Amino acid sequence: MSLICLKDIRKVYHVDKEKIVALGRISFSIEQGEICCVLGTSGSGKSTLLNIMAGLEKPSKGSITIDGMNVTDYSEKQWALFRQKYIGFVFQSYNLLPTLTAVENVAVPLMFKGIKKKERTKSAVHMLKMVRLGNRLMHKPTQMSGGQQQRVGIARAFVARPRIVFADEPTGNLDSKTSREVMELMVAMAKKYKETLIIVTHDTEIAKYADRIITIHDGSVQNDERNESILKSPENLEEKIV
Amino acid sequence: MLSMAFGNLFKRKVRTLLTVTGVVVGTCAIVVMMSLGIGIKQSMEDMMKNMGDLTVITIRNNSQSPDAVALDDKMLKKMKKMEHVVTLTPVFNMDSSAISIQSKKYKYQGMIYGVYLDTLKDFGYKTVNGELPAAGADKTTVLFGKDAEYDFMDSHKSSNNTIYPQPDKNGKMPEPYVHPMKDKFQVTVNPPENSTAIVKPVKLRCIGTLSEEGGKDPYPSHSIFMDVNFAKELQEKYNKLNNVKKTAKKAGYESASVKVDSVANVPKVEETIKDLGFTTYSMESIRKPMEEQMRTIQMILGGLGGISLFVAALGITNTMIMSIYERTREIGIMKVLGCIVRNIRTMFLIESGAIGFMGGVIGLVQSYAISLFINMVYATNSDHGGGGMMMDAAAGAAAKISIIPLWLALGALLFSTMIGLLSGFYPANRAVKISALTAIKQE
Repeated sequence: MSLICLKDIRKVYHVDKEKIVALGRISFSIEQGEICCVLGTSGSGKSTLLNIMAGLEKPSKGSITIDGMNVTDYSEKQWALFRQKYIGFVFQSYNLLPTLTAVENVAVPLMFKGIKKKERTKSAVHMLKMVRLGNRLMHKPTQMSGGQQQRVGIARAFVARPRIVFADEPTGNLDSKTSREVMELMVAMAKKYKETLIIVTHDTEIAKYADRIITIHDGSVQNDERNESILKSPENLEEKIV
Repeated sequence: MLSMAFGNLFKRKVRTLLTVTGVVVGTCAIVVMMSLGIGIKQSMEDMMKNMGDLTVITIRNNSQSPDAVALDDKMLKKMKKMEHVVTLTPVFNMDSSAISIQSKKYKYQGMIYGVYLDTLKDFGYKTVNGELPAAGADKTTVLFGKDAEYDFMDSHKSSNNTIYPQPDKNGKMPEPYVHPMKDKFQVTVNPPENSTAIVKPVKLRCIGTLSEEGGKDPYPSHSIFMDVNFAKELQEKYNKLNNVKKTAKKAGYESASVKVDSVANVPKVEETIKDLGFTTYSMESIRKPMEEQMRTIQMILGGLGGISLFVAALGITNTMIMSIYERTREIGIMKVLGCIVRNIRTMFLIESGAIGFMGGVIGLVQSYAISLFINMVYATNSDHGGGGMMMDAAAGAAAKISIIPLWLALGALLFSTMIGLLSGFYPANRAVKISALTAIKQE
């Protein structure tokens, strides 16, 4: 059975009596361990799709099933608890908490899960070492570069071992070299833990890292194809992470 | 969660500090104001205790009309049976020209009161020397007031014939002419002037000297207390000897004192006695309006403090709302990362509660300092005779005008924390309502 199953998802916004159809009848499934890229230009509805899959927005019609559970009508609290267990996030603008250090930021999802401080700090330090930030543990976000911040973000997304990691334009604010590093790191992590990674982007370069590319145009799936990832061999991947 | 809340407070040091200062001022104001109120009330109460016994009613029978009720032994017996009355005594003010109390050549000049000597104990009189008389004591028993020994005059001298009870330079009291507990005293009914009648003196037995403490009426200072029946007997002898005609009015006593079991019952007993047709007087009539006045003062002072704490509460709310605007994105991130609503609310409430609590603690410390300062200034001022007579009396009773009892301190802490929590409640709920999506989109 598929990990994520979208069925007839439709999303309509009402702006001043005008109906704007963001998504019209989208259906697809994503398998466990798949690295999937949702590609589309701005305004294509790809972000809306991500928001619906992550429970940040409710679809107007249709249903979502994740890991066999129908999460379509989950309440805000149910979604929060669900996200704690199943979902990790990587954002375009990193979205680290400014008052916390790198370690503390990475430990936040574990804190919400109610894991003891000593344990979560240990896990967080481990994750930061994996993303090669072992020497930046006690730095605040403002004291780090964009690439470093995004790596903290990645560590945070993976620390709780979620089943699914969503990445919303993860390289949008980074230069091409750093983008490559970040993408490689993210894909390597997902492969290592056999997690499902869903990347939302408009950048075709980024899409090359995925096993599967779903192209969205004007709120509907235009193309859904298998892709030969540019990172082929898993051995090669292991070198990317420490 | 806790460390995160405090991290947030610490991150915005200046603003937290300013908000806390608001609470500090508020708490300080309310505590100092209330402590002043309590202090003033306390010293008033002490002062009243010095002025007189709160549970004693003084009855006066000033009525001139011949058919007025008489305040005689029968009436007193009736009053004694009244509810809440512990004991009572007539106060017979002896005509000092009627008798003379003497020890050798020294003649007594002070006041002489006739009372039921056995009731003195119940009225709370205390002795410096000797003891209070028990029931059935000899009728010639007398008690000296504290300074009565200085009221003897050397009858052989025409000037410089008294010793004043004033301490010398070394603070030592001068030696009086007579010593109540050692010397022999006798009382003589005075015959008319130019009379050759010889009156046989009666020996008196002094069994104690009364202490001045605790504001009593009659006041045991320059006075001698004797049995009322003996006093009346002496007075009658004098009347007979001097051909004084008794008026109808003189049938009873002019005054009497009634001891009531508790302050609360004083008004009731006083009312009953008034209904019998007598004029009464008690500390209650002073205490009550004073207490009401005190309450008003306390309310005004507390109100002033309350206003400043209210302003502080607005400050906290404002700070927290500002904080939410700044941290909208942060809250969104937390929600997206799986933070449940309750945790966000808890965090904001911890923050605002902490502001309240810190303000309370610092404010309390400051209040103690201010209170100490006020008391110091007040003590020096009253030493120099500043303030009216009332204030001096109050200062004498308790040199503190600002008192912070434990309940006020704990109450203030609790109150300021509550204020913090309450003012954080609205912002916290707003934070909770922020949509995760719009929050993370915000740059």
